[in-house]
Amino acid sequence: MNDISPSTLLALVPLLPLVGAILTVALGRVLGSRAHLPAIAGIAAAFVVAVMLLSGMAREVGVGSTGHDHAAKPVEMVTTLWQWAGIGDAAAPGDGNSAAKAFAIPVALRLDPLTATLLVIITGVGLLVAIYSIGYMHGDPGYPRFFALVSAFVFSMSMLVAASNFLLVYVFWEAVGACSYLLIGFWFTKPEAAKAAKKAFLVNRIGDFGLAVATFLLWMTYGTLNFHDTTLADGTLVPGILGATRLADASAYVGGAVGTAICLLFLLAACGKSAQLPLHVWLPDAMEGPTPASSLIHAATMVTAGIYLVARTAPLFEACPGALTLVSIVGATTALVAALIGTVQNDLKRVLAYSTISQLGYMFAALGTGTLLGFTAAIFHLVTHAFFKALLFMGAGSVMHAMGGVIDMRRFGGLRRVMPITAATFLVGALALAGVAPFAGFFSKDEILASLHSRGWPDAHGEHHDAAPAGGHAATGATFHLASVTPDAAQFAGGARGSALDALNTPATWRILFWMSLVTAALTAFYTFRAVFMTFTGPTRVPDEAGHHAHESPPSMTIPLAILAALSAVSGWWLFSTHSLASFLASTPSFTAPAVASTATPPAFHWDLAIQGTLAAAIGIVVAALGHLGRRSDGPQMERFLGPLETLFANRFFFDQIYSALIVKPLEMVATLAAMIDRHLIDGLVDTIARIPVALGSVVRHLQSGLVQRYALAGVIGTLLIVLALVARAMG
Amino acid sequence: MNATSLETFSLLAPEIVMVLAALVAYLGGAFAGLRFGWLVAAAGIVAAMVVTRGQASDAAFSAGIAIDPFSTYIRWTVLALGLLLCLVQSGDLFAAAVSRGPGLHRGGTCEEAGTFLLLLAGLSLVGVAGDLVLLFAGLELVSIPTYILLGLKRTDARGQEASLKYFFLSLVASAIFLYALVCLYGIGGSTDLGAIAARLKAEATGRTAQALLPLAIGLGVVGAAFRLAAVPMHFYAPDVYEGTSPGNAALLSTLPKVAGIVVLARLLVLVGPAASPDLLWRIVVVLAAVTMTVGNVMALWQTNLRRLLACSSIAHAGYLLVGIAAAAAPSLSPRLLSTGGLSATLFYLATYAIATIGVFGAIAYLGHRWPEWTSGSGPRPPREEITTVDDLDGLSGTNPVAAFAIAVFLLSLAGIPPLPGFWGKLALAFSALEVDGAAAIEVGSRRSWFVGLAVLLVLNAAIAAAYYLRIIAAMYFKTTKRGVQADGGLAAGVAMLACLVLVGMVTVRPRGLLTAASRAGESLVPPAAAALPDALDTIATR
Repeated sequence: MNDISPSTLLALVPLLPLVGAILTVALGRVLGSRAHLPAIAGIAAAFVVAVMLLSGMAREVGVGSTGHDHAAKPVEMVTTLWQWAGIGDAAAPGDGNSAAKAFAIPVALRLDPLTATLLVIITGVGLLVAIYSIGYMHGDPGYPRFFALVSAFVFSMSMLVAASNFLLVYVFWEAVGACSYLLIGFWFTKPEAAKAAKKAFLVNRIGDFGLAVATFLLWMTYGTLNFHDTTLADGTLVPGILGATRLADASAYVGGAVGTAICLLFLLAACGKSAQLPLHVWLPDAMEGPTPASSLIHAATMVTAGIYLVARTAPLFEACPGALTLVSIVGATTALVAALIGTVQNDLKRVLAYSTISQLGYMFAALGTGTLLGFTAAIFHLVTHAFFKALLFMGAGSVMHAMGGVIDMRRFGGLRRVMPITAATFLVGALALAGVAPFAGFFSKDEILASLHSRGWPDAHGEHHDAAPAGGHAATGATFHLASVTPDAAQFAGGARGSALDALNTPATWRILFWMSLVTAALTAFYTFRAVFMTFTGPTRVPDEAGHHAHESPPSMTIPLAILAALSAVSGWWLFSTHSLASFLASTPSFTAPAVASTATPPAFHWDLAIQGTLAAAIGIVVAALGHLGRRSDGPQMERFLGPLETLFANRFFFDQIYSALIVKPLEMVATLAAMIDRHLIDGLVDTIARIPVALGSVVRHLQSGLVQRYALAGVIGTLLIVLALVARAMG
Repeated sequence: MNATSLETFSLLAPEIVMVLAALVAYLGGAFAGLRFGWLVAAAGIVAAMVVTRGQASDAAFSAGIAIDPFSTYIRWTVLALGLLLCLVQSGDLFAAAVSRGPGLHRGGTCEEAGTFLLLLAGLSLVGVAGDLVLLFAGLELVSIPTYILLGLKRTDARGQEASLKYFFLSLVASAIFLYALVCLYGIGGSTDLGAIAARLKAEATGRTAQALLPLAIGLGVVGAAFRLAAVPMHFYAPDVYEGTSPGNAALLSTLPKVAGIVVLARLLVLVGPAASPDLLWRIVVVLAAVTMTVGNVMALWQTNLRRLLACSSIAHAGYLLVGIAAAAAPSLSPRLLSTGGLSATLFYLATYAIATIGVFGAIAYLGHRWPEWTSGSGPRPPREEITTVDDLDGLSGTNPVAAFAIAVFLLSLAGIPPLPGFWGKLALAFSALEVDGAAAIEVGSRRSWFVGLAVLLVLNAAIAAAYYLRIIAAMYFKTTKRGVQADGGLAAGVAMLACLVLVGMVTVRPRGLLTAASRAGESLVPPAAAALPDALDTIATR
């Protein structure tokens, strides 16, 4: 490692899967059933490199060193691979005092604690999913295509989290979307799959639109799109949006209408990619894709891109407390609604899909608190969720594999006797998801609840206020200590007009959000164990599609399950007890902005919250056990107690129907009208215009007689005309 | 003329190296095998590259030789294109040899390689020529080997017809161009370009200059038009391309264009500062507009692949002229984004040449296709050369790499972002829009001409997309029962891949080539804003 510079290593992480993808495409036919080799080799190598980078970064940050340093130093390394395109002196609008600014798009990669963590997760889970797919996708006609797409996805996702420029982020935001689209529609001959892919693509476009407009606004406001500081050829420093210069000066972030607009557009983008209300409708349908793809893209990594975006732009959000509060509101609401829908689903993968939406909602709720605890808790939950949700999806895939493609829980049961390894690992994942101590989800969920609690009951977390004297912030003039500022004060802070959203930022709001999250925790435990009990307990039943050979899956599938189960069991306790992840992440430049760093609290285990969370989980599990433990899964369901609510949940709050009536149908009518105009009016016009060059060509063509004398004659006549015209002009 | 002959030799070292290599190829052909000639050619070009690299590119004028960033850029272009064409040409040969049985072409190949080297040396000489005689000698050293190559490659009736047509028309063009040189000599009283320019500046209003300048410009432009395949000397292109091999078509569509651009650039510098520069830009604008339109509308009708590409090469000559026209109309307003007309043309020339050689390389590589045949209907008929667009039907299934490469090249030629052709067209359009960029658009004003030209360029790009996309559609959306043979030899395939890599490189990083082109262009036509107050001197991407 001494011979290779960190910047080379950083470039290798995305490069190796890219090479793997290209090789898979090029050699796919030759390799046949061994087409997974290049992809797995590429991702595995990338994983090794990512781990090296993480350990190097951890050494630099000094994780594990004694004492909790409240003023974590920003640690980052930026490497510019090349200048992609540049426009010398494009005028920067909205910036009157300097006439022109170079518009340059460097292909710059960055490494900081946040990126290093995510790179390990992406390549690590990607590797396990790829290995699992050897067994799962075996014999599929699109076998090479699948591995090429997975490899391309790992490349795009690594670039997304490593990019140090908003335009690059946008490019790879689209690239992961494209990979997701292609994988959802992997079995494109199936109409549902094609439809689901289209839906995912279109819904995501709404979010992408938000990101594009946000990028424009960033350029207009800050005059650069780089995260990091750059130095021009003439020595002037261009402070990057998230660079050290701007981070040190809290007044450097624009609040008010423009700032809020940028943040809300980011939120819109995050809602699209991370399937939050009201753009969550695509994710359940995305389960039409192959299960390993669902596991990697639609559970562990791609859907967390929204979390990454908000966490990365934390300093921008801190300048707009209203937008930040809205993040939490959206998150907690999504968490609750998705959990409610999840309680009545009978399709195992859809239960998990709604659970993913719900858990992502948790992460957003934590992000919205705007405290260091909230940000690190969200990333912590992202990490543990990646483990246990990938595990659950792969477990569901294993069930589906054995059941001959059937995934409706009512049609099988008692599978713990048929596939013991899958059952055991699934149970570990379920315990982690339900938040039962000491499994991973318990700790990360506890952190999220704590971050919400600290906003709702600031006094209960008194030490955290003393640690950050408000006076220090008055001096900076533009930031505010979120937890200690009333809405009125927030409107004055920053010297900018606060937005109407700031009125939401009251302790009462946060208390409601906290209770919503607690209820969600109970619901989570309920639907998770309902699925466990329906699938694995009760009399053993196997659908006809499975034939007579319903069996445990091959080792290539069960070994990744076992690894993820181990991680789901211990990672939470390990990361929490050593406080390593949180202190490591605190050195991420975005989290060292004064507005974030000042909210740092000493690590604490909140017994009261832990008890509340455990109680909630216990209630959920007990209710699920009462209804489903040991019963036939096709028997009478608990839903009948819900009455009319069951209709509401089972129809997913009628989101699809509402969208169809309000948006899709009117748009279809407009589209039909436009198509009619296009076909009859525009096409006619265009066809007429298009005929002009063709007609002209037929005239010119006849001059091509093929006779060399005529060519020479025409040339000479042309020459004469030119010379005569010139002479005539020169004379007169 | 104070340089010793030794110094002159060292300045011309790359050309001399190539001529020596040509001699080796000619003589060795008597003893060596099929591949020998092209190996020598490639080695000679690489050696010339090494020598060029060792030379200083500062402006050095000596005995009619101009070594400046412009001629260095031209040299590098010639050598790089030469190396690619060398690969295509050798693949071409193998196709011919395979289809006619082994051994037939044994002797010819080394002669072709040697002739090709002479052609490159001549073209390189055109680039460095600072003297009328040297310029004309260089041009003839391009033309004569071209006739021979055309004649050697195909010995059937069509091939002979093509080479004869090219020969006759080229003679006419050379004669016309010679008249232009005579007029220039008449004005300047010297064959040295520097001396003529100085005289023109001194007595621009003199009667001789007044009378001869329009003639010189008109005849010179026509002479260059033949090399570029621009109106009014464009007629030969479709017939000749159709009648010759893909390798020769690749050569004809790129190397003479380099010569044409050099001639126009030198002419531009010569008469630019003269009293009536209006003459030049006006005629070039008209020719550019007519050429690109004629080329594109003609291409719409073609079904023969090489005829189609010939028409498209006419259209591209029109695009190239846009930058020349912009450079001939020295702008008084500062540049916005681009790097000036000549630089834009030089950049476009490189991107066009890479994509074109790539397409022809791919066609040469594909070579032949199986004719339609069912096993019940007698013996299998012989293979047929790929001639029409339909012959590429379903190529994405039978040879996906070649299909992908051709698609990328065609999209680049069509100017689809972010491929090199797009950056090139963007630079050209901007260079046209910058002419008097600050002035209002009035009918008949200089700005109105150029704005119209830029609009026409974009319209033409749209027309061109129609026939490029037709080829791509044939490859990707049609199916065929007849596969291609891909017997054109690996070398042509390597050329195709090399072009693909180059296209990829310029796509992700257009800056490098753009910087080189802008440095070359500015060494001949310095940026106008340099003469303006510092306040306006913001300029140019570096």
